[in-house]
Amino acid sequence: MSDVKVRIDGREVTAHEGMTILEAARLVDIEIPTLCHSPDLIPSGNCRVCVVEIEGARTLAGACHTPAADGMVIQTRSPKVLTSRRATVELLMAGHTGECVTDVHTDQCDLRKLADHLEGGAPRFLMRKPRWYPIEEANPYVRRDMSKCILCRKCIGACQEIAKKNVYGIAYRGFASKVVVDFDDPLTTEVCRDCGICIDYCPTGALSKPAKRGGVQ
Amino acid sequence: MPEKRILLKNCGIIDPRDINAYVAHDGFKAWEKARHALTPDEVVAEIDTSGLRGRGGAGFPCGLKWKLARQEAADEKFLICNADEGEVGAFKDRHLLQHDPFSLIEGIAIAAYAIGAQKAYIYLRAEYHYLSAGLKNAIDQTRQKGCLEELNITIQEGAGAYICGEESALMDSIEGKRGEARFRPPFPPSQGLWGKPTIINNVETLANIPPIILNGSQWFREIGTAQSKGTKLFSVSGDVAKPGVYELALGSPLKELVVDLAGAQDIKMVQVGGATGGIIPASMITTPLAYETVLGSGAVTVFDASREVLDFVYRTMEFLAEESCGKCTPCREGTEAMMEIIGRLTTGDGKQEDIQAIEDLSQTMMLSSLCGLGQAASIPVLDTLKYFRNDYENRIRQSVFLRSLRGQL
Amino acid sequence: MNTLQEQTLLSRREQASLLAKLKEAQKEFGYVPREFMAETARALGLPIGAVYGMTTFYSFLSTRPLGKYVIRICKSIPCCMQNAAMIIDSVAAEIGITPGQNTADGRFSFELTNCIGACDMAPAMLLNDELHGHLSPGKIAEILKACK
Repeated sequence: MSDVKVRIDGREVTAHEGMTILEAARLVDIEIPTLCHSPDLIPSGNCRVCVVEIEGARTLAGACHTPAADGMVIQTRSPKVLTSRRATVELLMAGHTGECVTDVHTDQCDLRKLADHLEGGAPRFLMRKPRWYPIEEANPYVRRDMSKCILCRKCIGACQEIAKKNVYGIAYRGFASKVVVDFDDPLTTEVCRDCGICIDYCPTGALSKPAKRGGVQ
Repeated sequence: MPEKRILLKNCGIIDPRDINAYVAHDGFKAWEKARHALTPDEVVAEIDTSGLRGRGGAGFPCGLKWKLARQEAADEKFLICNADEGEVGAFKDRHLLQHDPFSLIEGIAIAAYAIGAQKAYIYLRAEYHYLSAGLKNAIDQTRQKGCLEELNITIQEGAGAYICGEESALMDSIEGKRGEARFRPPFPPSQGLWGKPTIINNVETLANIPPIILNGSQWFREIGTAQSKGTKLFSVSGDVAKPGVYELALGSPLKELVVDLAGAQDIKMVQVGGATGGIIPASMITTPLAYETVLGSGAVTVFDASREVLDFVYRTMEFLAEESCGKCTPCREGTEAMMEIIGRLTTGDGKQEDIQAIEDLSQTMMLSSLCGLGQAASIPVLDTLKYFRNDYENRIRQSVFLRSLRGQL
Repeated sequence: MNTLQEQTLLSRREQASLLAKLKEAQKEFGYVPREFMAETARALGLPIGAVYGMTTFYSFLSTRPLGKYVIRICKSIPCCMQNAAMIIDSVAAEIGITPGQNTADGRFSFELTNCIGACDMAPAMLLNDELHGHLSPGKIAEILKACK
């Protein structure tokens, strides 16, 4: 495999061909935030939090799926990048309904951590009707609180690619999109028995171990 | 400059159900020429030299696209004709499919030969199901004539989703999935349908191929402007006396199309390019229609002085929010947040901060969305803000006044 | 492309038939029944959720039964400008239901749709697969009367 040379935030980086910008940046400890990305899963590129500026490009590029190409000049913290990333996170926050402040799962929420980190000011955006779904606790292994879901689809990927179980699908479209089980049914033991791997990949606590029966919180 | 009928030359003249009528009007001569006098590389070079650019909206150089797919070594390559004309105000592809399907089939045959595709799909929107019988008939007759010996053409019908006109979503739809945008790279000419090299061309782009091959790229280059060669079909609707499909040399002034040909009067603004198209106010009505200025898919909607800008913006954003595939955050959440603001503005509940919020949101959607829908969704909003800012500000002032009457300031 | 991606892409070739299958069901039953989705998912080795996801993504597929005649009035801008609202009202008056509903006898479903590419004939509608343009209240009455 040949090497590619890129410049990230002013630093020369030698990456392997086929590496993404995200991977190349990590070689020199430049951290680019992500929500929908996991090194274990096929990239989806849906959250748009990892966007970076590539010199000469019309739009920003997702670092988690764009291959580093020889000669690329990349900015991971330019004003354009930070403004856009902040607004994207704000939009995700605005799409929720729920008690993020008092909820016990809040400390698990990567979105909230990211929002705090990006220091957005007063909320600028509202949704006509933020998402609200009843909490699903029928399954002893996975508790679903879909109001917290940011549609990153990592649960779908983990279930499909790692557990090889195919429990989840994505349904509806646009703002109404939702990660569903079967015909948008509650998650029961009929379809999902025990692995709970999706919980490890959920960035917001939409999926969690049930407090009573799931053991250690 | 009057209309220049190259693409429309057969429309309404010949019987679209009869291949013999098409053949009698130079039909399949370009195909014969390509097959017998030119190598695939020469066909690609000819299209490249002609300067033909995509007619679906994005305007990517057609020859370059073909060249990229041609040079890929693969056991399988695909050609897709994008007949998912979902752009609001667009019906020029419908017109071609209805009145001259053979020109499209000939264009497909030449394109497949040039890039080395053995299989072609025509992705036809569900709303145009009534055109599929005529199209199938044209394919069958062409095959019987012996012009499709090495190519298998399938008509693949959509099921009601504007986003499937976006090329990556279109491919997902053919693969039997939800029509969602894919990230790029990889680009379709290297990894498209099922990961194989794929060319996706709009109906009108493919209909341009036979005349270019037949008359030569130099002939084509003489029509149009520096960056915009050839003619373009425009579908004109809205406040005009004669809505319909018109063909003009690229670079023709907008005024000629909407006033001289379509008979518009008392114009307030014109949207060029469909739901995500740019806005041209009446004061700029002589703007040339070209890739350098404003063009898109050639959908042209005329609004007269009686129309409200914010009603238009609301309906447009509602359309985009309903048709967003929902995969990426800026488009899925952004169109919804935009609806919240514009909805309030139209119902008289605007706030001072709204314009700033619209501008901030637009910027992010444009820069970070995964595909053209989200990237272009804010164009009509930003353009109307640019030319009709007063309409927004007045609404906000009225809102503030109304609130003060209600004692809710 | 990594091997995993390659495999996923290859294994999905047969999935290409999914949309056509769902459309056939829609045509035959007037909607896509759950049993049909479950069966199709099994046959293609897909999660039921993925098939349900397909059905709910495309607006010409429905998970609830539609009437024998589906009226789809275009509500996009060019039709709006030619008074589509009046056509919507006259359909409502004619068959006594509002958009999103079916008539009790199962004859009609009434839907609003985005641009159907008939802006030169605005206001326009699709009646099942058939296009009707230059609509007026009189014409609506006539067209709907012919629907037996």
